[in-house]
Amino acid sequence: MARESRPLPVATPSRQVATAETPTSVNPRSVRTPNNQGRGQQQRAQQGLSASGRKPAPPTATPHARAAFRTIDSRRAAIFTPHRTRRRSVREVRETPRNFLLSLGKVLARTTEPIASSSSSPGSQKEPSSGAGVDSTIHEEEDDDDDDDLPRRPRLSLPIDVEDEDDDSDLRPHRSAGLEDENFTVQSIELPRRALNENTGSRFSMGSTRMSDYFNRNDMLRSEDIGADSGFFPPLDAFNDNFNMGVEEELDAYDRLDSDAGRRDTGQESDFGIEVPVDMNESTFVIAPEIQDSPTRQPTEFNDFNGDGSNGSVDLGSDGGGFNELMDRRSYDDDDDHDRMEEEPLEEALDEAFSSIDKSMHSRMNRASFGDVGVEAVTGRASAQRSVKKRGKKVSKYGIEYPSLPPAVVKRLAQTFAKTSGAKGKITPDALQAIMQASEWFFEQLGDDLQAFAHHAHRKTIDESDMLTLMKRYASLPLI
Amino acid sequence: MAPGQKLYPRATVKKIVKAHSNCNVSKNVDVTIFLDYVLFMQTLMKEATIEAKQGGERGITARSVRKVTADTLAKFKG
Repeated sequence: MARESRPLPVATPSRQVATAETPTSVNPRSVRTPNNQGRGQQQRAQQGLSASGRKPAPPTATPHARAAFRTIDSRRAAIFTPHRTRRRSVREVRETPRNFLLSLGKVLARTTEPIASSSSSPGSQKEPSSGAGVDSTIHEEEDDDDDDDLPRRPRLSLPIDVEDEDDDSDLRPHRSAGLEDENFTVQSIELPRRALNENTGSRFSMGSTRMSDYFNRNDMLRSEDIGADSGFFPPLDAFNDNFNMGVEEELDAYDRLDSDAGRRDTGQESDFGIEVPVDMNESTFVIAPEIQDSPTRQPTEFNDFNGDGSNGSVDLGSDGGGFNELMDRRSYDDDDDHDRMEEEPLEEALDEAFSSIDKSMHSRMNRASFGDVGVEAVTGRASAQRSVKKRGKKVSKYGIEYPSLPPAVVKRLAQTFAKTSGAKGKITPDALQAIMQASEWFFEQLGDDLQAFAHHAHRKTIDESDMLTLMKRYASLPLI
Repeated sequence: MAPGQKLYPRATVKKIVKAHSNCNVSKNVDVTIFLDYVLFMQTLMKEATIEAKQGGERGITARSVRKVTADTLAKFKG
């Protein structure tokens, strides 16, 4: 059987370690791909010589043997850890289910050994004889072969390179490379300085420079360090940097001492960065009340209160005299709403002036200043006014206040049309509320449409033609 | 209608449209607008009545009006 030949060369972990140590042993395994068979034969002789002696390379001709080599190589590549223990443990796990196969393989392998020798080069024949004692290793290898068939192909490209280097070489370069990289990052900055320092003078001189320069130019050094170490932070002392440019070499000697100072300086800057968000927070607090505001209305309400309550002392902002008229006309209902409304404008004004934390305190203070009497004195009337204002005054999306249609007109229209349409009974307040809402939406939609027509005609004024155009587009209005 | 009553709140209608359109409203447009509003109300109430009758309600209720509002508004969408 070809299988015998396969396991023999690769199998024993001891051999693997030996092979890993000797680059020659590694090379043939990697080479044994079908194209490289010729090379593999030459290498076999080398392997036999170089290897511990037990493992000569098996004949390359048998595909199973190739597969076995590949699998072993791939395992080495996959498991960079050189430790024998791990490999053994892995193998054992895989092997346990296949002990029977291994035993069969041993039996068969003994019978088939001559065949393997025939395919292999003369040097290989010696190997099985030596390897016969190492049957245990063979078993392990066979297991690997069977398993390997599936995974081998994808691994081929990778393990070849890895095999050349072998486990020992692979491990070493990685660690060293990692260390080197780290060193470069750290040293890249430092090295040029040191070189400059050394050039300038002997170590003794450098030490001297440290002392002298340090006393004289503490500020200078700090500034340079900041610039050199962290390009991110603009040097606090721009002027100092310019002066330092000439002295750079001397300054370099100080770097370590200075670096601390520079870090401290940077820390200060970073503190500034931290401070900014704090400011932002404050600003956000300020902004939030602005969002809450429907500012124009509330001050007007306040004025109304004062006027009605006969508290003329308070003058917040006088937005609408027109509102007052509307307010007076309307009936007054709600006390609760009034109280809410009063508090809101005060607090909002306060918020703008003060941070959120101070809100409550300031609001109380302000109320007191304005005169609690004035606010409290306002009776249900004032509250009623506010509720009325809620209904009456609304703000369009363009920020323009507008009154809503008087409910009486809407109710009259609704009742008229309800009768004509055959509805019985009166319109309930809820229904009227819904109708008011519908008419509100209607006017909003109407305004948008008319504006679109007017803008399309490059006019700033809504014209009758716009209304005609709009109504002509009511194709779906059937009966009217 | 009572004789002394205003036919319709002309100024209010004008303000409403002006606020919503952010445009000036020329002289007699508000009358046309109010006509349109009357037509809208007529359609709305008719639909609401139908809806109320279908729902087995006695009169026009808020529910019936709300149910019809969207369709009616869509009809009067330019």
